[in-house]
Amino acid sequence: MPHVLPTQLPWWVAGPGIGLCVVALYALTNRKLGVSGGWLQLVLTAQRRPVTEPWRLWFTGGLVAGAGLAGVLGTARVSGYGALSEVLSPLPLVVLLVVVGVAIGYGARWAGGCTSGHGISGCSAGSPESFAATATFFCVAIVVTFVVHLLTGGAV
Amino acid sequence: MTRPVKLSALAVGVVFGFFLTASGLGDYRTIHDGLLLRDPYIYLMMAATVGTAALGLLVLRRVGRTAFGGPLQVPRHPVRRQAVLGGAVFGVGFGVGAVCPGITVAAAATGNWYGVVVLAGILGGLWLRGYVEERDLRLRPAPPEPVAPPPAPAGGR
Repeated sequence: MPHVLPTQLPWWVAGPGIGLCVVALYALTNRKLGVSGGWLQLVLTAQRRPVTEPWRLWFTGGLVAGAGLAGVLGTARVSGYGALSEVLSPLPLVVLLVVVGVAIGYGARWAGGCTSGHGISGCSAGSPESFAATATFFCVAIVVTFVVHLLTGGAV
Repeated sequence: MTRPVKLSALAVGVVFGFFLTASGLGDYRTIHDGLLLRDPYIYLMMAATVGTAALGLLVLRRVGRTAFGGPLQVPRHPVRRQAVLGGAVFGVGFGVGAVCPGITVAAAATGNWYGVVVLAGILGGLWLRGYVEERDLRLRPAPPEPVAPPPAPAGGR
């Protein structure tokens, strides 16, 4: 398969591309684009509960396929987890990343959305709640990143 | 759910996943350097995304219709407490892992299989929040019966 994609698309290509996905999903189906809601449908399925928004499973399936396509066409190859891989051996890293995931999933369900549902869809619709959620998680993430950076002496 | 809705969601999902991955956000360093305020990429991309979507929604509101979903409804909410509290918990994971729910797939697709580990945690976190909400609902005393409105005074003006 030819590697036709650059390592990183310029922000002025990737950004508008994703923005148009939000518009297209509204224009076609009248639905609000979001990723964590799709994973939630998967959790409901595993719990054998009624799936409340089945279209999200189709969207998430598409997301996986599109990511796979970009992975095959792209030159970007990442091995390991950046600086975290350098300071942690694989087992502690896996434990840390599971905890990271739990915080992300727990917070996303509590907040009613994540970087996509609040950060992109809600903010572009002008929803005050999405502005508040997005400002909160970006500010907290920046503070946490700086704290970890200082605590590790700049290693992370 | 009609067939066109399913296929539309699938098609938009493919394009979304493609751009998300081709943006290089699956590499820990892209978001981490952004959060360390060393690389403006994530902020520029976010601004371009929201700007494009906001313009598109402005046009779409004028049209007012959708192809397969009836009259357009774009939800807006006033700020509720849970959005800030949940956002803060989300931000801790977002900061430490430099990753979010969609990026886990982008990471795995570019060879960083730790993305799947984070995703497993996310599924667990989604389940855990549901468990906590249901437990709180059980522990909370039942809300009082709604009070019936007083009968209208008979023969009043």
